[in-house]
Amino acid sequence: MTGGAAAVHVGALGLGSGLLALVRPVFHRLTEGSVLAVLSENPQVREDLPSWCRLERHEYLGLEVQGSGLDRHLIRRGPHPRWDKSIANPSSLPEVASRFTGLAPRGSWVERGLPSSPFTFLSSATTAPNEASKIYQQGLLAQWDVNRDIPWNEIPRHSPVMEGAVSQIFSFLAENELAALYVPAQYLPLIPPVYVETAQALALQLADEARHIEAFLRRARASFDNKAEEDSGCQTPLSTVSTGRSLLSLFGNHDFIESTFMLSVLGEGTFLDLLSYIEQHSPDRATAEIARRSKLDEARHVHFGLAHVRQALSTDPALFGRLESAVRRRAGDLAGQGVPAPVHDALIVLAAGSDDPRAISQGHLAFGELLIQMRENRIKRLLHAGFSPEQAARLADLHTPNFM
Amino acid sequence: MKTLLIGAVAYDAKVVPIWEGMREHFKDVGVDMDFALFSNYERQALSLLQGHIDIAWNTPLAHVQVQRSSEGRTRSLGMRDTDRDFRSKVIAKDSVKTLKELEGKRLAVGSRDSVQARILPLHWLKEQGVDLSRVQIVAFDSDLGKHGDTGRSEYDVLESLEKGTADAGIIGDLVWTQELAAGRVAGRGIQVLATTEPFDHCMFDARPGLENDRIEAFQRALFDMDWDNPKHRRILEMEGLRKWLPAREDGYVKLISALNEQNAWTK
Repeated sequence: MTGGAAAVHVGALGLGSGLLALVRPVFHRLTEGSVLAVLSENPQVREDLPSWCRLERHEYLGLEVQGSGLDRHLIRRGPHPRWDKSIANPSSLPEVASRFTGLAPRGSWVERGLPSSPFTFLSSATTAPNEASKIYQQGLLAQWDVNRDIPWNEIPRHSPVMEGAVSQIFSFLAENELAALYVPAQYLPLIPPVYVETAQALALQLADEARHIEAFLRRARASFDNKAEEDSGCQTPLSTVSTGRSLLSLFGNHDFIESTFMLSVLGEGTFLDLLSYIEQHSPDRATAEIARRSKLDEARHVHFGLAHVRQALSTDPALFGRLESAVRRRAGDLAGQGVPAPVHDALIVLAAGSDDPRAISQGHLAFGELLIQMRENRIKRLLHAGFSPEQAARLADLHTPNFM
Repeated sequence: MKTLLIGAVAYDAKVVPIWEGMREHFKDVGVDMDFALFSNYERQALSLLQGHIDIAWNTPLAHVQVQRSSEGRTRSLGMRDTDRDFRSKVIAKDSVKTLKELEGKRLAVGSRDSVQARILPLHWLKEQGVDLSRVQIVAFDSDLGKHGDTGRSEYDVLESLEKGTADAGIIGDLVWTQELAAGRVAGRGIQVLATTEPFDHCMFDARPGLENDRIEAFQRALFDMDWDNPKHRRILEMEGLRKWLPAREDGYVKLISALNEQNAWTK
């Protein structure tokens, strides 16, 4: 801001035809008490400018007629609005977000006087992982199209047993992805706009889930082709209480970090191994491609979740205990559950490739290896997040047998 | 302390949230206050004089009226920053270039109880030498009893100029400047012919005999309101001010002479 005096030429503009667009920006740069000369060729301004000054709390000092039709209006600048400049630097994330900057983006001055905003995640340490922007960009580049990018016409007519297994698996995957869509969505409107990169990364993650749901359901229904169970010869996919309870238990937690930890680090982390398994044992290229592409997205989600949890843990050691008890609470609620039977069986048939008993035996072995693989990778991710080996092993075992 | 009962006229739906917000703020600063809403300023003025309410939020017309009826025993307590130095505008189409040319033309004016859109500017025009008996007055007596608070009659005046049912009109500078700055007047061939002298607008009036400590409590709560406080800001915006200011009387002198000259006092 500058003090002293300034002048602005407004030509023949009137107050109602653009004059203010020239005067107001100059006023904004002047300190309170500075005098602005408005040079006008429009005599109407003599009537309108003093009234505007009164309305805007500036002091109209008077008019000097300059000759040749030029008026020189003098105005003393009134008090400025009070500006909150705490987010004026666009590249600097405040450690604590103000409740009173509304939806103002970083890189702006915010007029004081806003009511308190509904955003509740006000700490950058627990809300804004440094990687958020990078992960958002990666996500943007990795978007794919269910219709275009999956070779749907390469799905052959599988045996009813195989097709039933694939259908069951993808229906189960879609059910899980619905949870992955809804649960994090509740946090989106609680992230203050100063941490918009987290909101953007999360929004893209939700878009990924929406796409997965589309792809998984389309694959699950491929053999039905609008036919009922009897006509297709395939078993209609089953949705069990154990899957439903496991997923619904994620809705009961309203803590962003705890949710991220259970959903993204443990749940989606486990899904990476599941999707690899499905890709590896897919009976056709289209099915493999769905699993492969979804896995790439999920890997990004896991990476984001890990970055989020790691950063939070590095600033708040008490969080280790909180995360462990959140997992314990959930495990307590789900006590006595195993891998849902229809999913268990379908995954074995998938790996077996048929219902031949010898093949099924191989499939059973492959499935056992999958569970071991899942546990080992969970431990690796927990270690990476910052947990001790003992904690990591405990938490890996407490994770839901429903995978997510 | 006994609950302060404040009267306000319900000229708009926003009056309810304004006064509920005010009551909450008064409570926050330890002043027990409630409000009563009236449908018109005449009834509110009467209630103040009869002691049914302690304080009335009055228009300039109601303000000078209660002062006169109580023989100066009411007390003026405070006003909005925007109530000071209010002016009216005489606006006209191209066919009228000077005030004198209003004679023989149609002049749209607001309600007969609107100080800014009728009472004061007509008095002022007469002082400027305009022979009002030769001016064809087109009156918009809308929202009578509200003393011009709704602004309805001022918008009616603007509209009549646009429609061509009047050649000139009178409007308060607040409505005029807001319409102008919002770009709603540009290109319609309406210009300001003259601006009246300044006068003051609304006032909080205390009934005769209201105790000093209660007056002080009211003023303490009122002047404590702060534009930068989000809770207060919402109320102040709706009420159209940034700051409450102490009362002053100079700004009503012209109105009193206008009412004398127009013989317009309520009996």
